[in-house]
Amino acid sequence: MNEHMTPTVEDLREIADQVWKAYLDPEGVRPLIQVDTAVTGTEVSASVSLTGAWDGHVLVSCSNAAAREAAAAFLGMEPAEVTEEDLTDVMGELANIVGGNVKSMLPPNTAVSLPHVVTGSANRFPMTRQIAELAGTWIDQPFSITMWQSSELAEVPA
Amino acid sequence: MRLILRRIVSQLGFEVIEAEDGKAALDLLGTVDEVPKLALIDWNMPNMNGLEFVIAARDDARLRDMTLVMVTTESEHGHIVRALAAGAHEYVIKPFTTDAMIEKLALLGLVPTGANL
Repeated sequence: MNEHMTPTVEDLREIADQVWKAYLDPEGVRPLIQVDTAVTGTEVSASVSLTGAWDGHVLVSCSNAAAREAAAAFLGMEPAEVTEEDLTDVMGELANIVGGNVKSMLPPNTAVSLPHVVTGSANRFPMTRQIAELAGTWIDQPFSITMWQSSELAEVPA
Repeated sequence: MRLILRRIVSQLGFEVIEAEDGKAALDLLGTVDEVPKLALIDWNMPNMNGLEFVIAARDDARLRDMTLVMVTTESEHGHIVRALAAGAHEYVIKPFTTDAMIEKLALLGLVPTGANL
């Protein structure tokens, strides 16, 4: 990617591959399978906000079952042992890692927030537009990483 | 992330204490009899971030021998330089593999070269 261009789906894929290799699929047997259509059925979403030279959000969303499996893989425990706190901690950390790596592709003086995790409902970002979506399935469950950029005020209907 | 790091260093034989942010870590360090050999520090934390913690730790003679490793997604050159200039000994960028973390600790002389879990 050119320096300081807005990250693309390919960039999100590269970041996801690193995350899967490090935490979710170190053995290389449970990869994130990319799909062409938008992912539906997500129940847990974790986001970080990026502010400063670039304004927007990076969102990691998946089903509750995928979040539980992710937490189990991350923490080295069985899915049945995962608590709600484990689940939200891990999803927040995933958003932190993905968002932090996205930030490294953005202009300097862009800051990343602490993660925010929402369960049971969709995370909404008013006055933004989605600029990239890595849609996929993981262990046959929906899993996506999306980027949302704050809209220019001029583009927002009155 | 704390749980992942705990798992790695515990299996390498370290006894682990944890704090949720830099301020809590300083408070905790003020209560322990033995200063830890190693601190693994995230950059993005509430109350007191990792860089502020490194600066505070370097300003405390009692913590002089503690090895400080930043473990963070902040991968910009400027961030790394700031952390190292403030007194951090090493910098690990997330995501990292277990092997990469062990290798870094071996470079610091905290575990034997070639150690594994």
